[in-house]
Amino acid sequence: MRGDSFSVSIESLPDSPMGSQKKMSKMFDKMSEWVTPWRSKSETPRETRILRGDVEQEQFQYASSHCLSSYYSVFVVRLAIMVMLAILIGLLTILTWHFTRVYTKQSLQTLAYGLRYELLQRPILRMWSVLNTTSELTTAQVKLSEYVIKKYDKPTTQEELVEMYQAMKDVTWALFASAKALNAITINYRNGFVQAFHRDPASSNTFYIFSDLKNYSISETGLDDVKMSLGHGWNNQTIHGNMSAIWYQQQLDPITGVKIGKPHQIPPDDLISIAGISQVPDGEASWHVTVSKYMDSPLLSAALPVFDASNKSIVAVVGVTTALYSVGQLMRDLVEVHGGHIYLTSQEGYLLATSTNGPLLTNTSKGPQLMKAIDSEEWAIKAGAQWLEKTYGSNRPHVVHAENARLGDQQYYLDSFLLNLKRLPIVGVVIIPRKFIMGKVDERAFKTLVILISASVCIFFIGCVCILILTNGVSKEMKLRAELIRQLDARRRAEASSNYKSQFLANMSHELRTPMAAVIGLLDILISDDCLSNEQYATVTQIRKCSTALLRLLNNILDLSKVESGKLVLEEAEFDLGRELEGLVDMFSVQCINHNVETVLDLSDDMPTLVRGDSARLVQIFANLISNSIKFTSTGHIILRGWCENMNSLQDEMSLTADRKKPWAPLKTKLVHHRNHSLKSCKNENKMVLWFEVDDTGCGIDPSKWDSVFESFEQADPSTTRTHGGTGLGLCIVRNLVNKMGGDIKIVQKNGLGTIMRLYLILSIPDNADQICQPDFSKYGLVVLLAMSGSTARMIQSKWLRKHGIATVEASDWNELTKVIRDLFETGSRGNSFDSHHNIAESLRAELSSIQEIKNPAFVIVVDIGVLDLTTDIWKEQLNYLDRFSGKAKFAWLLKHDTSNTVKTELRRKGHVMMVNKPLYKAKMIQILEAVIKNRKRGFCNRGNVSDESHDCLEIDPTQFDTCSSDDSSETSGDKSVKPSTLHSPVLKNYLLDMTKSNDEDSTTSEASTTTQKKKQEEEQDWKDRSNRLYSGVALDGKNQKSLEGIRILLAEDTPVLQRVATIMLEKMGATVTAVWDGQQAVDALNYRSIINAQDPTQEHKTLSEEENPYDLILMDCQMPKMDGYEATKAIRRAEIGTELHVPIVALTAHAMSSDEAKCLEVGMDAYLTKPIDRKLMVSTILSLTKPSTFLTDENLTRELS
Amino acid sequence: MNTVVAQLQRQFQDYIVSLYQQGFLDNQFTELRNLQDEGTPDFVSEVVSLFFDDCAKLINNMSRSLEQPENVDFKQVDSGVHQLKGSSSSVGARRVKNVCISFKECCDVHNREGCLRCLQQVDYEYKMLKTKLEDLFKLEQRILQAGGTIPQVDIK
Repeated sequence: MRGDSFSVSIESLPDSPMGSQKKMSKMFDKMSEWVTPWRSKSETPRETRILRGDVEQEQFQYASSHCLSSYYSVFVVRLAIMVMLAILIGLLTILTWHFTRVYTKQSLQTLAYGLRYELLQRPILRMWSVLNTTSELTTAQVKLSEYVIKKYDKPTTQEELVEMYQAMKDVTWALFASAKALNAITINYRNGFVQAFHRDPASSNTFYIFSDLKNYSISETGLDDVKMSLGHGWNNQTIHGNMSAIWYQQQLDPITGVKIGKPHQIPPDDLISIAGISQVPDGEASWHVTVSKYMDSPLLSAALPVFDASNKSIVAVVGVTTALYSVGQLMRDLVEVHGGHIYLTSQEGYLLATSTNGPLLTNTSKGPQLMKAIDSEEWAIKAGAQWLEKTYGSNRPHVVHAENARLGDQQYYLDSFLLNLKRLPIVGVVIIPRKFIMGKVDERAFKTLVILISASVCIFFIGCVCILILTNGVSKEMKLRAELIRQLDARRRAEASSNYKSQFLANMSHELRTPMAAVIGLLDILISDDCLSNEQYATVTQIRKCSTALLRLLNNILDLSKVESGKLVLEEAEFDLGRELEGLVDMFSVQCINHNVETVLDLSDDMPTLVRGDSARLVQIFANLISNSIKFTSTGHIILRGWCENMNSLQDEMSLTADRKKPWAPLKTKLVHHRNHSLKSCKNENKMVLWFEVDDTGCGIDPSKWDSVFESFEQADPSTTRTHGGTGLGLCIVRNLVNKMGGDIKIVQKNGLGTIMRLYLILSIPDNADQICQPDFSKYGLVVLLAMSGSTARMIQSKWLRKHGIATVEASDWNELTKVIRDLFETGSRGNSFDSHHNIAESLRAELSSIQEIKNPAFVIVVDIGVLDLTTDIWKEQLNYLDRFSGKAKFAWLLKHDTSNTVKTELRRKGHVMMVNKPLYKAKMIQILEAVIKNRKRGFCNRGNVSDESHDCLEIDPTQFDTCSSDDSSETSGDKSVKPSTLHSPVLKNYLLDMTKSNDEDSTTSEASTTTQKKKQEEEQDWKDRSNRLYSGVALDGKNQKSLEGIRILLAEDTPVLQRVATIMLEKMGATVTAVWDGQQAVDALNYRSIINAQDPTQEHKTLSEEENPYDLILMDCQMPKMDGYEATKAIRRAEIGTELHVPIVALTAHAMSSDEAKCLEVGMDAYLTKPIDRKLMVSTILSLTKPSTFLTDENLTRELS
Repeated sequence: MNTVVAQLQRQFQDYIVSLYQQGFLDNQFTELRNLQDEGTPDFVSEVVSLFFDDCAKLINNMSRSLEQPENVDFKQVDSGVHQLKGSSSSVGARRVKNVCISFKECCDVHNREGCLRCLQQVDYEYKMLKTKLEDLFKLEQRILQAGGTIPQVDIK
């Protein structure tokens, strides 16, 4: 059964309704669909494998296989749940069915047993009662007979005998009449006389049968016989043998017993059975079954002897016969109700009664005989008897309960009971068709089974569907997870690819910059070529500009990628912050003048001069910001403000900046307040917060875009690209760099038009630097007249001057200038009329009057060349006019970069030597003032040639500082004329270029101005990329093949090819090359010298370096066996400690990243060249590193000589 | 006689231009050739043969390092690649250099299979270049023998 249900459940999986089959196929489809993309995807990464590496691949595979397996496991779990469900339901079904069936069956069987028992019990009871009745009647008859016989004890006469017989007859009749069920009562006397009453059920007549009295006499012999043969004297022969006796039958009224008609003789054949003495052999009651020809059913007859008074001898035998058909009747009634068959047999198997109508007797020639059950004509009885016979054989038990007796083609219950009567045991058999009792049950059981199975199958399917639905959710989640994993993977890949991109860009730096550098360098050569026509020159210049722009763009992209890929390493070197910014402003002012925009640098006095940090990046920040401002500013000004603050007050500052609407001035004063104690704390921390603002009057930025403009490729207005160009990278780079320097940048609210970008940087300050060097000008009684067209710059400058106690007068145009000049210098003579003629502002007048109070004032007139009218020739007259006052005042001229040479020549001719390029800012102003003061001092002691004096005092040779700053590795290579130094005063650049040159030769002025221009250009191009600085040098040296004449170079290179190439290359250019194979050899080659040094410490270093230094320069490959370039450099530098020697070491490496460069410089190398060696770059680098030293020694020599 | 020389010279020019166009060589090679003059007549071939010797040695070393199925000493391989890159870029062997770059990337991520692939590629490229340059030098020799001069080739 269990197997069945199981197989059903298994089969139901594939065989189940189409729905589930579809589901299955769908499931597989999904699975394969899920598997295939994974496979197809696994193809693609294979290509990029080199880049991404195996690890990721494995992870990816792991993730997917994990997913797949879990998907399979879901499937398996589903199956398992289904199977379990199937088993469960099957078991339940079986158990339910089993219990209902078995218990029903059992209880039913119990009931059926009871029923059968009952069924049989009743006929048996009837039988019993019949027997009892018969027995009672017999006993009663016997008692009556004994009574009558006693009364007529020993009849002696015939009459007495007859009388007695008559009495007996009456008594017997009474009994017979009272018991209707009796068939017959017979009294067989000892003498052979028989009296009998008999009912014939067929004719419902009652007869009295008696034997002929004449034959019987009261003879002693007869009695003796009886007496003698007690027990066996009487036998049937007495009756049957007494054939001679004549039998009479007399019909009686069945009710009254009155004789009807005459008695007539009947043949012995018709005689009923009469109990004789033989039937009571032992004087006890006896029973037997007889047949009668009047009855078609067996009769039960009982016989009892009648004893005489002495109770010793039998005087008569009483027999009572009862028909058994009433039992049969009862059985028939029962069977009608319950169905089935019942029969009773004697122990020998003779049928006594059946529930059927079939005959119980067989008619033989001898009359009716009892028949056996096996021979019964009734099929059921016969079959039952045969089954019993067959099953149990001859010696069967009398009590049998068979439940599944198969008779014919039907199942029957067959039970037999034994009614153990003494002398007459009776066996009862009940045959009931099984279906009468269990038929319904069996049917029900089958139906129940069917229903149960179908119900469980239904439940199973519903369960399966439920499981599918439930697990579908799970698998959906699974799919989502797989999706998520895929997404994550994709994201990781995207990130990786973005990383690769950045890395790629960073790696490309060299490859991209080198060609650009070459282009620019070649253009420089071309520009410096004399034989270009003007047109060609213009074109080449244009190309030069474009390539610079392209290089800048490249640098921008590369910088950004470098910052983003985290490869940007900020330098940590000292630099002059002020000068970097001044240079920047100088550069941008050139652009701004074209735009009609003023560029103003406004650094507060407390700004530290020297700071430590990455100057190039710092400049880049401001360059980007300013160029951005210039882009959007068409008129007005761009101010770069700077002030500083120490770390302690940073907190306040941050809170202030958040809602700062006040102008910056109050803050500044507050900061100045802080300064006293901040300086102290700065000493400890050496960190400073520098605040900067770039303030422009451009179109401004919408407040909603204030944050987003710092994102990559983001521009405030999409149309910007079209109008102004640009990539939107600038501000992003700025923010990245600012963040990298520990600062932050944001756009702040501005009153009026334009934008203010405010940022702060945290920079460290060198310990030894005395940051603030405030020249005190107030005591000299200086009066400055600022005649500048740009109002913002003028205002800021005058404010600064006044703050330092210098009387300042402002003039914005020529008319004003003349007024003021006149006012100042001619006031004595025309003072009153001046007042009346001109309406000068009150403030100016107050200023003028205060100036007049100054004793022995020194006038400085700063004139913007723009104040003069240069469009016509009027400027010459104006110059002449001003020249009149040259004795009374010093003129300082502010030139534009494009001021024509004629103007300059004219100025110089007139003795105006102080000329500075615009814009004017603090440092330039200080320089002018200092020049004036010095000039004045000399003037006091030696009133001589003013211009010569001024030249002397202003000539500050940059090379002077190189003696002490030669350690500044990278800076020495630059063509910047002045190095950051550890000098205590702010180093003055040769701003007053023309001043220095002018005295040499008037005719060279034009050349000088071109150099100035060139310098400007160089600065413009070169501040970003250090390596590019050298190109101008290349341009100059480009044609000179033997440019390295006399330079001794040690080449440490392990690759033979490179060594050979470099050697040849250098030798071609006239250098003496010694090649070594590794760092160790290089160190050894130099160590030789240091040993000498050690031995001979008294010797002068100079001569040492002249004579004992075998090499002017070392070209050092970075990666070498035994000892690499870094190690070798470190060793060399260690050896140099304590001496004043410094061999320039140039790194040669195939790495092209700035981090590599930083590493090289870190270990003490001076410059850095990448492979393949670019000849020009190499030459310029070598020259920049070796020439200064030769130059320096020359300088020193000359100094010593003088 | 002159026609033969002219033909050879043209052949030489075409060949060298094709070498540049196919990316075997770059300007560094031109630089090398420019360095060669009367003082150093065999400079280029000398350097090139040095380079090939170097290549053979380095490739041999690297292949030995990479032969081990596990625990490949990538540092050693890396330095080899680095050297190869340096020398190839110095000679102007462009293709070799390019392969070196990807080789180096493989090396950086410790991808042994990639390294092996690159190694084979490098081997192939340098041998290829070697045959090409040998041809070139033979051509040169023939020109010289024919009494001609090596033409200056201007590679744009």
